[in-house]
Amino acid sequence: MGHVKLSTMKKIFNSRVYSLSLTILCIAIIACIIFPGQFATRQNFSQLLLNLSTDTIVAVGMMLLLISGTFDLSVGSVVAFAGCFAAYAMFFGQVPVFLAISLALLASLAIGIVNGYFIAYQQVNPMIQTLAMMGIVRGLALWLSGASIQGLPYWFNAISQSKLFGIQMPVWYMLFTVGIFTFLFHYTNFFRRYYYIGGNEKAAELSGIPVSKMKLYSFALTSLLAGIAGILLSSRLGAALPTSGRGLELRVITAVILGGASLNGGLGKIPGALLGALFMGIIANIMVISRVSGYWQEIILGIILIFAVWIDKYLQRKNEI
Amino acid sequence: MKLALRNISKSFGAVQALQQVSFDLVPGEVHALCGENGAGKSTLMNILSGNIQPDQGEIFLSDQQVHLKDSATALHYKIATVYQHLSLFDNLTVAENIYAHQIPTNKKGLIDKKRLILQTEQLLQEIHRGIDANTLVSNLSMGHKQLVEIAKSLAQNPQLLILDEPTSSITDTETKVLFKIIADLKSRNVSIIYITHRLDEIFHISDRVTVLKDGKYVGTMVTSEVNKEKLIHSMVGRDIHSPISKFNKKGDIALAVENLQNKYLKNISFELRKGEILALAGLVGAGRTEIAKTIMGVLPLASGKIFIQGVEVTIPSPLQAIRHGLAYVPEDRKGQGLFVEMSIVENIVSSTLTQETIFYNHQKANNTALEFINKFDIKTTDINKKTNLLSGGNQQKVVLSKWLSLKPQIMMIDEPTQGIDIGAKFEIYQLLKDLTQEGKAILLISSELVEILSLSDRILVIKHGHISKELITKETTEAEIMEWAM
Amino acid sequence: MNPTFKYLVNRMKSKAIWIEIFFLFCFSCQLPVRQDVFDIKEKSSLPIPTLENEEYVMVTTAVTMPMYVHHDQASFKRWGQEKGVKVSILGPSDWDVPAQINTLEEVIGTHPSGLLINGTDPAIARAINKAVDAGIPTVVYDSDIPLSNRHSFIGTNWYEIGKMQGAEMVKLSGGKGKLAYLGILGLSNMEDGYRGLMDAIKEYPEMILVGKFDDKANVEEAAKITADLMAAHPDLMGICGFDSNSGPGIALAVKEAGKVGKIKITTVDWEPEHLQLVKEGVIQLLAGQKRELFTWYGAQFLYDMVHHTNQLSSDDRQAKINSLPEYMNTGLIKITKENIELFLK
Repeated sequence: MGHVKLSTMKKIFNSRVYSLSLTILCIAIIACIIFPGQFATRQNFSQLLLNLSTDTIVAVGMMLLLISGTFDLSVGSVVAFAGCFAAYAMFFGQVPVFLAISLALLASLAIGIVNGYFIAYQQVNPMIQTLAMMGIVRGLALWLSGASIQGLPYWFNAISQSKLFGIQMPVWYMLFTVGIFTFLFHYTNFFRRYYYIGGNEKAAELSGIPVSKMKLYSFALTSLLAGIAGILLSSRLGAALPTSGRGLELRVITAVILGGASLNGGLGKIPGALLGALFMGIIANIMVISRVSGYWQEIILGIILIFAVWIDKYLQRKNEI
Repeated sequence: MKLALRNISKSFGAVQALQQVSFDLVPGEVHALCGENGAGKSTLMNILSGNIQPDQGEIFLSDQQVHLKDSATALHYKIATVYQHLSLFDNLTVAENIYAHQIPTNKKGLIDKKRLILQTEQLLQEIHRGIDANTLVSNLSMGHKQLVEIAKSLAQNPQLLILDEPTSSITDTETKVLFKIIADLKSRNVSIIYITHRLDEIFHISDRVTVLKDGKYVGTMVTSEVNKEKLIHSMVGRDIHSPISKFNKKGDIALAVENLQNKYLKNISFELRKGEILALAGLVGAGRTEIAKTIMGVLPLASGKIFIQGVEVTIPSPLQAIRHGLAYVPEDRKGQGLFVEMSIVENIVSSTLTQETIFYNHQKANNTALEFINKFDIKTTDINKKTNLLSGGNQQKVVLSKWLSLKPQIMMIDEPTQGIDIGAKFEIYQLLKDLTQEGKAILLISSELVEILSLSDRILVIKHGHISKELITKETTEAEIMEWAM
Repeated sequence: MNPTFKYLVNRMKSKAIWIEIFFLFCFSCQLPVRQDVFDIKEKSSLPIPTLENEEYVMVTTAVTMPMYVHHDQASFKRWGQEKGVKVSILGPSDWDVPAQINTLEEVIGTHPSGLLINGTDPAIARAINKAVDAGIPTVVYDSDIPLSNRHSFIGTNWYEIGKMQGAEMVKLSGGKGKLAYLGILGLSNMEDGYRGLMDAIKEYPEMILVGKFDDKANVEEAAKITADLMAAHPDLMGICGFDSNSGPGIALAVKEAGKVGKIKITTVDWEPEHLQLVKEGVIQLLAGQKRELFTWYGAQFLYDMVHHTNQLSSDDRQAKINSLPEYMNTGLIKITKENIELFLK
């Protein structure tokens, strides 16, 4: 009996998906007790999920990159760019909604392909490449839209403002994205290769995995997901903001690392992206409810990140002995 | 320096790495330490170099009890260590590496570059003239890196030098240089602890040999009074037989290359038949690994033709090579062969991910892994165990399983027994022989001449990127091979 | 096995169930209400304020920006102390409008007595409408969100800021010369300022705007752009700054180039460093906002609405009357060399 308990405990601590779920559950229960009328309401929960939908969709892409041992800093700019591009096309170009979205997503994909090409085939450092791309794409977004673009077509807004079972659509899109990628990472050879690339790039190449091609795909896919997130965000706001998604890249990387990824690559599970974002979302939500002001939010989130990573290292050390 | 260890014990969690180990070392002695992997040699070495502290036991230096609380303390007592896994900084020059701990400075406290180079050159004079003090370590061959590593420890002016598998990645020429250095140190009354898997070396240079098994002290023998069989028996606890080589009828040509040319290779042509082991001998850096990597599509081919089963093929990437039935087991097992942070199952199926199927079948993967674990007797408690927790021999078996799961027709195997203990070594030899029995063609790259001579059918000696001689194994000797390699 | 469960499993196997699920999804999907035209005059639902747990919440963005801290937030807190009611300040620490919207939407769920919202971008209109629909008195300050149903707006007309700067430049230059615009690109209030500036110089064809530059609200960036501009246009007459850090940045570069007085500077805000630069004669005009008044009176408006201070009918809610002023312009402070001594403390 005691033995069984110990091994279950070990399993929980070994898998970030379990340990983080448990932590989130504990925090949520405590918050329900302290703020019963404010936290534990249907409205608050659906709002909370809605607010983290953009981050989570981007986080899925970021998780993919971190698993393969790299990252992309340009995602925040792509979020802004995709929204502004679609809005610009619809508002100034009178392009139909569907076409505008397709063009915006194609443009996002192209940004990812450029990133991936330089990183995978020209050996440009991913940090430099995506940092540069972050500036370029942000500039493009500002140039396209000037200030924010208002008054987008009804059907564009309907994408995110519609509700299903009383919950706004972005939440469903987020769950769908997480679900489909969890499935793909678990059951397809294609996506499993990213674990090997992150684990040992040279060995992966020698094992016949086309590393460069796979890297190109991963950046393209991440950018595409960021583009989708951008479209959903501007549809939800009913406006395209060139300033949106500032600092999103770091927030998302934080969430993904909380969710079990490692900057060294090879580790991480897709649901971890959702859980990491959920964890940060709940903390932020509790701080809003308890009226903790903005500066403190940053400080507390920073401390939590260090604490979470430290506790992970600590448990790993304990497990090794 | 006189050294005595008394009843040293050390455990890591539930694993008892060392149990009441005692032995002595007299000044000017070369004392070999041997035992299978996991016997406790590395732990003992780490205790002596101050990296870990024993749970129990005492260490006496020149009859004074000492407490080696960290590596700085060990250095203070003039104990220097040459680690097996190189501890060099690739991004710094040879000189900066050798004097990493004690960079000479001028009066102002700034780095005295001239003196640094001068000292390094003096030191290298004694060791190897071919190494330039100003080159970056990343530009050196494995063998030269090992020599720099040794130079680094000599720069500490040690009284006790611990060498951990110093010859595992160097060629016989460099081994000769090393033995000369050891003889020189010995004459200066420096004591040496020499850890190795290679029995020949033990008999060649050591005065006494201490055997460890499963963390326990087995015994210390005067080298001249024991023979190989006895030593192996005390290490392994059982007798070991050389691989059984049944007569093999050589089949059709599996792989043929014509005039391979690129940056590293000049006019390489040879044929490899089914059921044959063709060995590539030569010095480290002669281009043996590059031949395999070129055929595998890792290095670009400038000109030349590759024929597989008689059909000309182009191989732009390892993926294509695999599709043509080729497999390559690289020399640097942890760096290029294994995914150390991943499990045994994940490693074994890693080469099958590029096959046509879309979906990953967890059940099938587990079955494949279990099949190989049983077939090759991979010692593990769990198929999901991370491979960095396995011993070198088991790791190599995992790498071999990974390739064999693809059922390749031609295998290129680079340094298959590097850093592997003797028991596992013979198992791998047997495994390679069995593969030829199944009709597979094997291209073996090895720096151990004994290994080449006992396994191969033919030998190609490689020198400066071209084939300097083809030899029939049965009709040649170590000396002849070396002659063509130099 | 549970029979209902078994039934469900069996049904899952047939294709029909998936079609049913698909239709269920389609029918459950609620499209948003068409809100192509906002009716500003008619409040769909006026609030029913409660005096229990009286609390006023300010939702802004970039809460750590010194100008916000020293003016808006200080004044709001002072008001709270004076009235003896709880006041809270929330929002992201960076300039991040979507994050401000997220915060706002989460705050709505906690039903504060009143909301004071920094009108950072027209995109927050929907969130403001949500607050209004939830029955929370809502006042927007700084920049108006015209497409929203906010109960009141209090702030500065940014168009006027641009106009004031343009008019001063015309006066200083005699109606001819090259001008440059510096500010944060992509913010709608600054775009209004830009329009004001353009309208002010419109009638002087010899006044040319050489360009619109993004200093990213950063002193170094503003200084760098200014230095580049002076190199590219040796005959540059003046520079108009539109964010808090534009002025100090432009002044720095002009001082370094030894062109004090030759290059005219007009800008916004009246932080101590801005005032000092006016005193030194580096900056010619400050178009100051009365930020303290935004939040003080904004909070007061909310308070009056909650406490029914000014009842205009027997039941304002039923009569669908808004008891607050709908638009309140606090006006501008014009600071030049002539009145600078009065601002220096």
